[in-house]
Amino acid sequence: MGGGDGGKPSMVSPLEVFRPSYLLFPALLGSAILGLVCPLVGAHLILRRRVFLGLTLPQIAACGVAFTFWVYHEAGFAHGAGGERVAAMAGSLLFTLAGMGLLAYLDRHATGSPEGRLAAAYAFASALTILFVVFNPAGELEILNLLKGEVIALSVDELRLLAIVYGIVFAGLVLFRREFLLTSFDRDLAFLLTGGKVQWNILLYLLCGLSIAVGVIMAGPLLVFGFMVLPPLAARPFARGTASFLALSSLIGLITAMLGFYLSVVLDLPLGPTDVTLGCVLLFISHGMSRVRVRRTAGVAMLCFAAACMGSGCRPGERIALPLASVEALNESTVWLAKVRNSTSSELRLPSGNPLRSLAEMAGKVSSDYRPTVMDLLRDSLQTELEQRKIKIAFPEARDARLGAFAPDPSSAAETAREGKLSGLLLLTNIQRWHADGRQLLSTRVDFKLLRIGDGGVLWEKTVQRVIPTTGAGHLGQASSDAAKEIVREIFGS
Amino acid sequence: MPAEALPLVSLRAVRLGYDSETVLQEVDLDIRPGDLIAIAGPNGSGKTTLFRAILGFLPLLGGSLKRNCPLNEFGYVPQSSALDPNFPVAVQEVIGMGAYGRLRPFQAMPGEEKERLGHVMDQVGLRHLAARAFFSLSGGQKQRILIARALMVLPKILILDEPLAGVDTESRTAITELLLRINREEKKAIFFSSHDLRMVRSVTRRVLRVDGGRMQWEEETAGNLPW
Repeated sequence: MGGGDGGKPSMVSPLEVFRPSYLLFPALLGSAILGLVCPLVGAHLILRRRVFLGLTLPQIAACGVAFTFWVYHEAGFAHGAGGERVAAMAGSLLFTLAGMGLLAYLDRHATGSPEGRLAAAYAFASALTILFVVFNPAGELEILNLLKGEVIALSVDELRLLAIVYGIVFAGLVLFRREFLLTSFDRDLAFLLTGGKVQWNILLYLLCGLSIAVGVIMAGPLLVFGFMVLPPLAARPFARGTASFLALSSLIGLITAMLGFYLSVVLDLPLGPTDVTLGCVLLFISHGMSRVRVRRTAGVAMLCFAAACMGSGCRPGERIALPLASVEALNESTVWLAKVRNSTSSELRLPSGNPLRSLAEMAGKVSSDYRPTVMDLLRDSLQTELEQRKIKIAFPEARDARLGAFAPDPSSAAETAREGKLSGLLLLTNIQRWHADGRQLLSTRVDFKLLRIGDGGVLWEKTVQRVIPTTGAGHLGQASSDAAKEIVREIFGS
Repeated sequence: MPAEALPLVSLRAVRLGYDSETVLQEVDLDIRPGDLIAIAGPNGSGKTTLFRAILGFLPLLGGSLKRNCPLNEFGYVPQSSALDPNFPVAVQEVIGMGAYGRLRPFQAMPGEEKERLGHVMDQVGLRHLAARAFFSLSGGQKQRILIARALMVLPKILILDEPLAGVDTESRTAITELLLRINREEKKAIFFSSHDLRMVRSVTRRVLRVDGGRMQWEEETAGNLPW
């Protein structure tokens, strides 16, 4: 999800990720909003000894999403149509509120353990979610994306909706903190002081339901549950009162969201599991520190420091990858542009409507049954960029048809080149990932290596990881073309 | 207190229990302003059940109950063990809850309430613990804080469920002195429970004994009890 180097973690700096002009800045903001507000909701559930509600309700919401997708497609609407996400959000909200209502009713009228009911409800919702996905042949990818957490693909409109809903939830939880605190801490006193009115309970659960229903559709149940539960549990050992508990929960949630996002970009990991794993690590650190009786302020400072250290520890060394254009040898020797290697599991053929194909056919350069690939796009872009810089290039397969493929390992590739009587430099390109992640993003990872053919020495190398929005492109072919140009521009530092 | 003062709470032939299973029956009781009444009996005899019925938490199975003051003028001190020990709440937050019934949503605690908060903390002698975490306190300190919270309600009657259970001797003395002072100086009615009859007798002569599902006033000459 960002720039990279030599197969190692990417070298995107925190400043770059947190800059408003950064490509994934809306996703970062979405994560930050979730990280700030979800812990506040979860803290109230924990105060009410209803922590499992934070696990069960997101699963019920996910069940509502799966159900809505299924009904939506059964009703004949196309997958990916505009109203699909709105319908899913409505389904999520409906199921969440219905689930909460049913659980509240059972809490009042049924016997047995409330935890047992929550566990049963979780199992039931999980099973139903899978069944609804099975019923809906078009739904599997959506639900998988949902479970992974799709906050990375947040559009500006969705971000706005998330900000409004979570803003309302945040304001409600802060403004009515006193009332919620009373009903959570001592129901008997609340009964005496309010005359048994239940409006505060209803309002609190409505705010919880709203945040869960919207959060699940935006970010997936895993991320919502993680943010709701882990930061408050990490904050608990350092909180003396409810005010500090709520504030610390939100602060740790925010740190987890920001740092998790950065790690996700740098290490090219899915955001949801990264955030949750990071939250668990902070939880262990927090409880470890409480065991050794660290003073509260020192504990919080250490927790923040630990988070920052984890972030910096995951950054690569300070080796800076210079732009390809800065390699002086480029101007002195011929650069043999090897065919781009495809290490993905798919063929990466462009859709038949791609205009490049028509142009090539018209020029008589390709047969009518030939379909260009992403590898062609990438090599075309490299060729154009190198030629514009007056660098002498050549194609190995034009010299010898047997040189159509090179091993990714530099020494083997150089040896093959020497056997083919090539001299000068060899530019190897290897696509490791190139797939549409969800409906709005193209996720890519490409390795580049510039070798000296004579001794197989690596003069320059870089791995570029990019998540590129596809919303502006007319089709996937166009998006791939845009992505190829962007990647090539990045390695030339232009 | 003059005997003719209107009872704050009046129970007549009350039957109490859970799911139609009777725990206490034939309960007749008047609690008037300034009364200091103890109810003593073994664990599980129905003391807490009686309190919960008086406070409206539990419906009656039979008989009649009349309250002559609103529920928000009842100061209730539960057993501290009934509260979640993992709840991160500061002492001043716990006491401040007693004033919540007088505050509107969004309303900051006015100066008058803050003064009262300081006053009740002084009354229980624990102002220095205001910023401490409630559940880090000793059993006796927690009880005094819960009494302070009940006083913060500005109650006409204080109902205390086993206020001396699980506290050390020093705290027992402090709590009993506090209850006596509140009763004498502020003329508040106090109704409390205990399973320690000796302690109960040292506080008041008006003792209700409850056992075997029935409640009766103890005669001052009562001999040794089975608990």
